[in-house]
Amino acid sequence: MNPLSLDLAVLALGLVLVFLEAFNDGKEKAFLGWIATAGIGVIFALSFLVSPQEIVATQLVPFYTADPLAIFFKRFALGTTLIVLIIAIEFRPILSHYLPASVRNGGVAEFFALPVFTCLGLMWMASAVDFIMIFVSLELVTISFYVLVAYMRRNNPSLEAGTKYLILSALSTGFFVYGITWIFGVTGKTNLGAVGQAILSLPVENQTALLFGLALLLVGLGFKIAAVPFQLWVPDVYQGAPTPITAFLSVGSKAAGFVLLIRILDPFIKAPATSGKVQLVLVALALLSLVYGNLTAMPQLNLKRLLAYSSIAHAGYLLMALASFQNGHFKQTTVSFYLAGYLLMTLLAFLVMVVVNRVAGGDSIAHFNGLGQRAPWLAFGLTVAMLSLAGIPFTAGFMGKFFVFADAVEAHQWLLVVVGIVTVGAGFYYYLKVVRAMYWNPAKNNEPIQAGRLTQVTVGVLVFLIVALGVYPQPVLDLLK
Amino acid sequence: MSPTLFWIFAAITLGFGAATLINRNPVASALSLAVSFLGLAALFTSLSATFIGIVQVLVYAGAVMVLFLFIIMLLDLKAEQRRQVRLSALIGGVVIAGLFASQVVLVLRHFPKGNHEFPPLSLPHPDAVNIGLTLFGHYNLPFQVIGVLILVASIGVVVLSKRELN
Repeated sequence: MNPLSLDLAVLALGLVLVFLEAFNDGKEKAFLGWIATAGIGVIFALSFLVSPQEIVATQLVPFYTADPLAIFFKRFALGTTLIVLIIAIEFRPILSHYLPASVRNGGVAEFFALPVFTCLGLMWMASAVDFIMIFVSLELVTISFYVLVAYMRRNNPSLEAGTKYLILSALSTGFFVYGITWIFGVTGKTNLGAVGQAILSLPVENQTALLFGLALLLVGLGFKIAAVPFQLWVPDVYQGAPTPITAFLSVGSKAAGFVLLIRILDPFIKAPATSGKVQLVLVALALLSLVYGNLTAMPQLNLKRLLAYSSIAHAGYLLMALASFQNGHFKQTTVSFYLAGYLLMTLLAFLVMVVVNRVAGGDSIAHFNGLGQRAPWLAFGLTVAMLSLAGIPFTAGFMGKFFVFADAVEAHQWLLVVVGIVTVGAGFYYYLKVVRAMYWNPAKNNEPIQAGRLTQVTVGVLVFLIVALGVYPQPVLDLLK
Repeated sequence: MSPTLFWIFAAITLGFGAATLINRNPVASALSLAVSFLGLAALFTSLSATFIGIVQVLVYAGAVMVLFLFIIMLLDLKAEQRRQVRLSALIGGVVIAGLFASQVVLVLRHFPKGNHEFPPLSLPHPDAVNIGLTLFGHYNLPFQVIGVLILVASIGVVVLSKRELN
């Protein structure tokens, strides 16, 4: 099967959802959530029939690739969207509460249609090998996020988060585009392969300009992956946005940022003139993100905010893997595996959070008190997610960190290794705080919490995958070959 | 184009661009932006990019500016004029902008100075035809992606601004 047909299938699904919304005026539209979920599920299953191929169609060659990395991150985008839509179905009662609707469940349909388009943008971004294609697909993702973050119009934190995200993201896009123009100005190319060729034969007096362009690009991408010092937007936006969208931002947006980093930095680490400087910047970003993310996560009392800071810390570990490149090659498998584990555990945490929020009415850690009695299954799921985020052995999180540290040792990045190990220790403290609340702190009332059938099954599947990848990571590593 | 004209139009573009930021009155600010766009359009035209120059006038100086003015009319202009500029914010802004500008200058110093006379472009087709061929030919895929992007943006506008959702 042609890899491009996956993208087109997602596009068709998005259009079908928009039309179903439009032609069911004034009727109950909650069923669209199920159609979106089923559709993405089917396309996700179909994606395993697609095999990487060099040339999809000749006229697309300068812009589009379907190499193993692209196919892996297309599946990644589809998997993320699938679980985000499941979270969104669970979130629907909270959502409709904050919408100015004239009928029951009015206005919820687009909340299920827009993530499909975001997914499409993420899939195109995974395949993009040209600055212009990268930019337009990045904008498709960002613009759909602007809308989704501010979606709960009658909730002030959501609006505030939407405004903050819009302004800061637009600023970072400005840096990104300006960086592209500098690199285009120096090399005369927008295709990444051609840029790589041009860098190798670049006259020395143009190298300052090239590095300046690269620095601007890194500012833009640092924002997307929430690396320090470009992390200022993260806590408020994560806390204010509707929870499914927070999950989407923390997994989808971050993964896309890392694909772009791998693709864009690749020509620069192959050129001897720039490779050392790129490494220096990556190490600095990794150190700052590790220390800042883990230290600021410690005093947090709100689980959503805690996960926001933890996502900064995880960006640090991922940057650590990127910084350990050797001989002009990134450790793609390490980054991809870490992201796959991060997807499973983060989305599991957000899924449980939405159910608890619906019943208990908030996301602070105190709302999780006594969850072990009120909903043993959900509490078990959240425990596994937290243990994996902390990096306990036999979880995907541990395996991911293991690969990261192994790479750093191999590349002799000792400073990163030491700081990384210390911050992992710090991580135990704040992740286990949540586990303590669930099992040791008494709840205000002991009413059982009911979750939907689909949610319970999803929790089971995610727990299974986290443990399975923690014991036997080979299947994911094979996907990248 | 003669260098004199280039300097005049460049000065108009930059001067009115600065006026956009400095003016406290939003309407004056918006109109300065329009004039700045006109200067930019003249620069495009002088580079044989007539089509882009015209589009610059029609779309930016025309449509976008009208939109801007509409939004400004809906705002409370007096409140904006009364607003005090915080000294710390002002200093911070100037310092950051200054640092960035000096960095750009430092980078630009590395370039050799351009003294070339460029011959006029000789293109196989008129301006607009060329743009059309490039846009719908070579850049077709990104162009289609922008189509989806605009669809998403318009859905977003409706969702976020409609009074009652049904």
